[in-house]
Amino acid sequence: MDTVIEVRNLVKRYGDLVAVNGIDLDVNAGEVYSILGPNGAGKTTSVEIMECLRKKTSGEVRILGHDIEKGQKEIRRRIGVLPQSFNAFDYLTVKENIEYFGGLFDKNIATDELIAAVQLEDKRDAWFINLSGGLKQRVGVAIAMVNDPDLIFLDEPTTGLDPKARREVWEVIRKLKSQNKTVILTTHYMEEAEVLSDHVAIMNDGKFIAMGTPKQIIDRYGSGSTCVVKGANPAAAEAVRSAGMFHESLNGDLLVRLENKGSLAKLIGLLSGSEVTYDEVLIKGSTLEDVFLKLTGKKLAEAEQ
Amino acid sequence: MKLKHVMVDLRGQARSFFRVKSNLFWVFAFPLLLIIIFGAIFSNLGSEAVTLNVQDLDQGPGSQQLLAALNETGMVKIKFISPSADLDQHIKDNSLAHVMVIPANFSSDLAGNTTAMVELRLDETVSTSGTVFNAVNGVVNAMNLYMAGGEQHIAIEMGSIVQKRFTFLDFFVPGIIGLTIMTTCVFNVQGTISRFRANGIFRKLATTPMTPFEWLLSRILWHLFISFLTLAVIMGFGVLIFGMNMSVNLPVVLMIVAGSAMFSALGMMVARFVKNEETASMAANAITFPMMFLSGTFFQLEMMPSYLQQIAAVLPLTYMSQGLRDAMVYDNQAGAYFNLAVVAVIGVIFVIVAVLITKWEEE
Repeated sequence: MDTVIEVRNLVKRYGDLVAVNGIDLDVNAGEVYSILGPNGAGKTTSVEIMECLRKKTSGEVRILGHDIEKGQKEIRRRIGVLPQSFNAFDYLTVKENIEYFGGLFDKNIATDELIAAVQLEDKRDAWFINLSGGLKQRVGVAIAMVNDPDLIFLDEPTTGLDPKARREVWEVIRKLKSQNKTVILTTHYMEEAEVLSDHVAIMNDGKFIAMGTPKQIIDRYGSGSTCVVKGANPAAAEAVRSAGMFHESLNGDLLVRLENKGSLAKLIGLLSGSEVTYDEVLIKGSTLEDVFLKLTGKKLAEAEQ
Repeated sequence: MKLKHVMVDLRGQARSFFRVKSNLFWVFAFPLLLIIIFGAIFSNLGSEAVTLNVQDLDQGPGSQQLLAALNETGMVKIKFISPSADLDQHIKDNSLAHVMVIPANFSSDLAGNTTAMVELRLDETVSTSGTVFNAVNGVVNAMNLYMAGGEQHIAIEMGSIVQKRFTFLDFFVPGIIGLTIMTTCVFNVQGTISRFRANGIFRKLATTPMTPFEWLLSRILWHLFISFLTLAVIMGFGVLIFGMNMSVNLPVVLMIVAGSAMFSALGMMVARFVKNEETASMAANAITFPMMFLSGTFFQLEMMPSYLQQIAAVLPLTYMSQGLRDAMVYDNQAGAYFNLAVVAVIGVIFVIVAVLITKWEEE
């Protein structure tokens, strides 16, 4: 499998501030690789260095086999970029916007083909300014694809979108993957990274704190499954405590960690006690959000503040 | 440099520009409105007779002779106040600025070789009071000379130092062309750069084969086109509606080219140094607003105090407006080329600085 991105000990400093602190990264062709983390973690800075938009302080970066400093022309020809907070030209139509950026490359995909790829046929002649947030991002993805790139960078493509619009963008990203494009996705939505990615790197304070497939990361850093006993009475909590099971109470629910295969059977036995009452029992697996909480001691939203 | 990239950007600008109604207003409608308003105010300046309110208590041949002579000057238009009216109250009620009272014994004094008096009441704060005084004084002197049987030993023959007769609009319109080019170029370029930076368009363009120089060139060419369009619309309007005397010649064309490049580059510099979109707009206003009033757009520089004239001497719009005026109206080729040279030098410096400091990539 070809490696399209190789990063070794990449550092970016702004005066005393270390925005990117010695990261390593390998991305293979055809995969969706998410860089996940709160605002200010260093995601965009790292990605913009890979996109030839920022200069690195030190380290080595090779994109599609080219050194980031020596091969910028070739790299720019073969990558597609959707910058963070990108808005195309307000008073050009969807078609005109795609034609504009396509016209800047020697090799480009037919505009109608791109419009079909992001399912914007009925908005073809609508001005960009009149599109919803989700549709604008789909135009942005189409623009990122105009030069038929081998590697596509999507920098927070769903930030600020409502859940429906977010899922529309996810569909477009899945389509890119089905076309065997390599996609680098930066996001601060854990669910997004989990659903879309082959590999994930979780970034915090300029460093990668966990890397691997979503499953690998959850298996390695997650806390296993949790049984949620909704509407549990105090007798239920007491029974669990007495049995020495790791648990916590949250909003009237009892959260019990299932540490091994026998834990669930043991818990069901405790919940069948005569004085124990509860409404329902759910089993919840670990998520990347749990991993982030475990590794940083903060929830993602707290880390962003 | 690839011409294809410049053409792609020019096509995009052309499509966007004409779809934004505010662009059309500021570039075409606003200067025309200024010309219409100022044209209406100043087109008849100097030719309109000033109203002189007269209370003729005499009603005799002497007063009629005096009033006929005043009418003949064409400088005043006589409006009578009833002899029975309370003059002070009438002046107050009607806010009169120029009043002449011919006393009841005016004709008899004139006939009896006694000095006949007329009373002239003027509001000195009104600029036309001088015209009224000159008209009355001239008529009274002429009548005195005639009645004394004297001969005129000194007479005035009127001539003009200008080859053509100019109106205020002839002076005004080249200034408006310069002003419009300045505001269009500075605000459009500054606004575009600030907006493109906020919208990530520069970051996107930086990942394409287009170079910043190609983009800047396209922007300057576009504003050059808009400047010539502005020139055509304003001139066409001035000539057709107000019958102005203006011509387009080589120095005018060169001045439009140099001025557009200079002010487009100024917009780029403002956007580069002031990165916040709103602050950049304020900075552009802070630069263009004084130029609007101090560069001789609305009135002659000679009317300003000397310290303001010294400030005007360092403002680029001063040279552009004066150069356009020299070339379009006064047919002063030497003046036009001198001002063109100043604008061209400033323009070259501004463009070089703008190209050097405009970057798409982040630090």
